[in-house]
Amino acid sequence: MSSTSRTLSSTPHTTPNSASSCAWCGRTVSADADHSARRRHCPSCLQVPHLLDPVDGGSSDCRGRMSPIAVAVPRTGGWVVIHRCVRCDELTSSPTRADDNQLVLMRLAVRPLAHPPFPLEAFGDL
Amino acid sequence: MPRRAKNTHRRTRAARRPQRYKDVLHGRGGHRGDAFRCAGCRLDVSLDAPGTTHRNHCPNCLVSLHVDRRVPGDRAADCRARMEALGMAVRPDGEWMIIHQCVSCGALSANRIAGDDNALALVRLALKPLRDPGVADRMRLAP
Repeated sequence: MSSTSRTLSSTPHTTPNSASSCAWCGRTVSADADHSARRRHCPSCLQVPHLLDPVDGGSSDCRGRMSPIAVAVPRTGGWVVIHRCVRCDELTSSPTRADDNQLVLMRLAVRPLAHPPFPLEAFGDL
Repeated sequence: MPRRAKNTHRRTRAARRPQRYKDVLHGRGGHRGDAFRCAGCRLDVSLDAPGTTHRNHCPNCLVSLHVDRRVPGDRAADCRARMEALGMAVRPDGEWMIIHQCVSCGALSANRIAGDDNALALVRLALKPLRDPGVADRMRLAP
C-alpha cells in the first residue's frame, strides 16, 4: 500500500508531455530520464517510429516501424543500434542507453555469429 | 576453406525477393567500366564478384564509396566520400550484411557480403560489439 502511494506521489515529477508510450510494445517511457543523450528507441523492444528522414533531413511522412537489425561500434566507442524501416528500408542509428533491454541488445550483437556464412572453426588456429 | 557452407536449412530461397535489376552505368563517372579502385587501400577490384551482382565495397578492406542516395545504384549522391564498415547485420535468411557509414556526412547503407570478401575482416567486424570494454557489464543481465 505504501509502495503504491509512493508510486502515485512520484508521478507528478514526470511531466505528461515528456512521457510517451511505445506504439508497438506499449511500454510507457519518459523522454529524458537522468541521462544526457536523448531517448530515441523504446528501451524494451528497441523499435523506433520512422519520423525523421535521414537522407534529406527534416521530418518523414513514412511513420513506419523501424526495427533493430544490428549493433555497431562507432569510433567514439559505445554501442549504437542500427534500425531499418520495415516499410521503406531506410536506415538510422541511435546510441544505446543504460536502461535499454540488455538481453535484446546482446541477442542482436551475437546474431551474426549464430549465422556464419563460412565455418568459423578455422579462425581458432589463427 | 569452403567459403559458403551448405547450411541452407533455414534459408527460404523461394520466398525471397529477387535481386534488383542492375542498370548502373559504370564508366560514366570517369572510371573504368569493369573495375574500380578502392578508396581505402587502393586495390584494383573487379566488378564481377562471386555470390553477388551488386558489389559496392572492397573485398580487402570493406571500404565503400558514397555515390548512391536513397536507392542502391541511383548514383544520385554528390557526397562521394569514403564509407567505412560500421557493423554487421543479418537478414532473416541468414545472409550477412555490412552496414557502411559515410565518414563525411554520416549516411548509412547496407550491402550483402560477397563471396571473396576478406573473411578475417568480416569476422572482426562481427565481433566488434563483443570486444567493447563495457561488454562485461552488459553480460550481467539479471539485476
